[in-house]
Amino acid sequence: MFALEFPPINEVIRWKDVFSSFNKVGIIACLAALIGVTVFLIAGRKDPMVAPKGVRNVAETGVEFIENQIVMQTIGEDGLGWTPFLLTLFVFIYLCNLPGIIPILQFPATARMALPLFMSVIVWLIYNGVGFKHHGLGYLKSSLFPPGVPKAMYLLVTPIEFISTFIVRPFSLAIRLFANMLAGHMLLVTFALLSNAMLFAETKQYMLKPMTILPVFMLVFLTTFEVLVGFLQAFIFTILTGVYIGQAKHPAH
Amino acid sequence: MEALSRVLAQATELTASDLKKNNAAIGAGFAYGLAAIGPGVGIGYVVGKAIESMARQPESAGMVRTTMFLGIAFTEALALIGFVVFILLGL
Amino acid sequence: MHTATVAHLGAGGFRVVFSAEESTATVPAPGNTAEAAVPEKSGPSPIAPEKYELIWALGAFVVFALLMRLFLFPRLKKGMNARYGKIRSDHETAESTRAAAESEVAEYQSALASVKAEAAGRIDVARQTLETERTARIAEANARIAVRKAAAVAETDAAMAAARQSIEAAVGSVAERATELTLGKRPDPATVQRAVAEAMRSGVNS
Repeated sequence: MFALEFPPINEVIRWKDVFSSFNKVGIIACLAALIGVTVFLIAGRKDPMVAPKGVRNVAETGVEFIENQIVMQTIGEDGLGWTPFLLTLFVFIYLCNLPGIIPILQFPATARMALPLFMSVIVWLIYNGVGFKHHGLGYLKSSLFPPGVPKAMYLLVTPIEFISTFIVRPFSLAIRLFANMLAGHMLLVTFALLSNAMLFAETKQYMLKPMTILPVFMLVFLTTFEVLVGFLQAFIFTILTGVYIGQAKHPAH
Repeated sequence: MEALSRVLAQATELTASDLKKNNAAIGAGFAYGLAAIGPGVGIGYVVGKAIESMARQPESAGMVRTTMFLGIAFTEALALIGFVVFILLGL
Repeated sequence: MHTATVAHLGAGGFRVVFSAEESTATVPAPGNTAEAAVPEKSGPSPIAPEKYELIWALGAFVVFALLMRLFLFPRLKKGMNARYGKIRSDHETAESTRAAAESEVAEYQSALASVKAEAAGRIDVARQTLETERTARIAEANARIAVRKAAAVAETDAAMAAARQSIEAAVGSVAERATELTLGKRPDPATVQRAVAEAMRSGVNS
């Protein structure tokens, strides 16, 4: 019988402090902000009149991606002022997701609840703020009492709308990102441990060690899959932010 | 489930805390497994319909793809809540 | 029984320890070995946000967002807009240049067409002049030829008449002499002349 014991989860996702109160999540978050600032700083320094290449090309592609794929699709022409915020959100989340597959770091900072939580709280504050700013108390009315519903149904609809708009939204936003990244990380840990255990097992079953290729292959496949997941989760978080802001701004649809 | 763990306890002579732990582990397994059924069906349906509409109207593929990801994100949330419960209970 | 135990080494990763023992009666229950290897749950719940992570990440994000909003993004966007404006104006310039070139080409084409038409007209006129001149010349030549022909015909007729006259005279004298020899009497010269003329006319004409 062969038994692989999984380490307790806090050993998988919590790391020793570098110094007091500063751990790997802090490192990754600071690195992400630093890399983002550096990229956009270098991009801004370059001559804007020649065809963009290198860092500037990356930055401009990001800006155009946010403008065309997110802002124009969800808020519309009048939401272009939100581009810098959404761009920051996207770049920060993506750079925090990416360490999940980078050797040595090997951990997505968004797999801890702290980052998704504060970002979804910020998003919650922003979309409610936008709603109150544009419609005043009419925002509450349009979000709690959607038009076109029979009067008696408001007894049922209003509590549901309240819960879904003001409570479930930020939590689902945070938990989606957090759980996706954590699940991806756990999968990678599982297959890495399995490969390790199979390769170094002290066993008389000679077929076991060559079979290590299977979990290693799975590990490589999952690593490439995590690249996609990291991008997709950053995109989904950002586009949902856009959707919420757009709904607060134009509640008619 | 309880019967199962009781049988397990009798077979291996576990203490009360072990029993609780085993219950939690079994519950966690069921939580994630059950939570994955609905979203699995739902995501399959969303993606299938999206592919169908992309095949019918390739010129609107970009819009359909964006909406498809949104739909997947909403559907997937349920499975992820199941995963969180799994972690809370089991590990 | 093989048991793999994974120990966590902080920032260093994991150490996996395997113990391969042959299954004997003294092996404790598997649940108990696992229990012994796993330490009690350390640290907070895995889904609860931790205060320091929250503070560090929030600080990093807010700094990044503010820098982006106030400083980095406007500069990048200004550059992009400037370039797009330049590209657009370049496009417009190119478009207007192309239109000007096209109108010039059209002008040239029309000029070319008018010149061609003029040339064709001139050629037509020249050809017409040539034609009339030619017909005039031909008519003149025909007239000259006709005059000459008439003169020649008259000459020929005169020569023929003269020849006929001399032949008539000769034939008359011969006929007169022959008649004289035959009849011994000179015939009336007028009669002979009439007979000869008749015979010759019928001979020539027939």
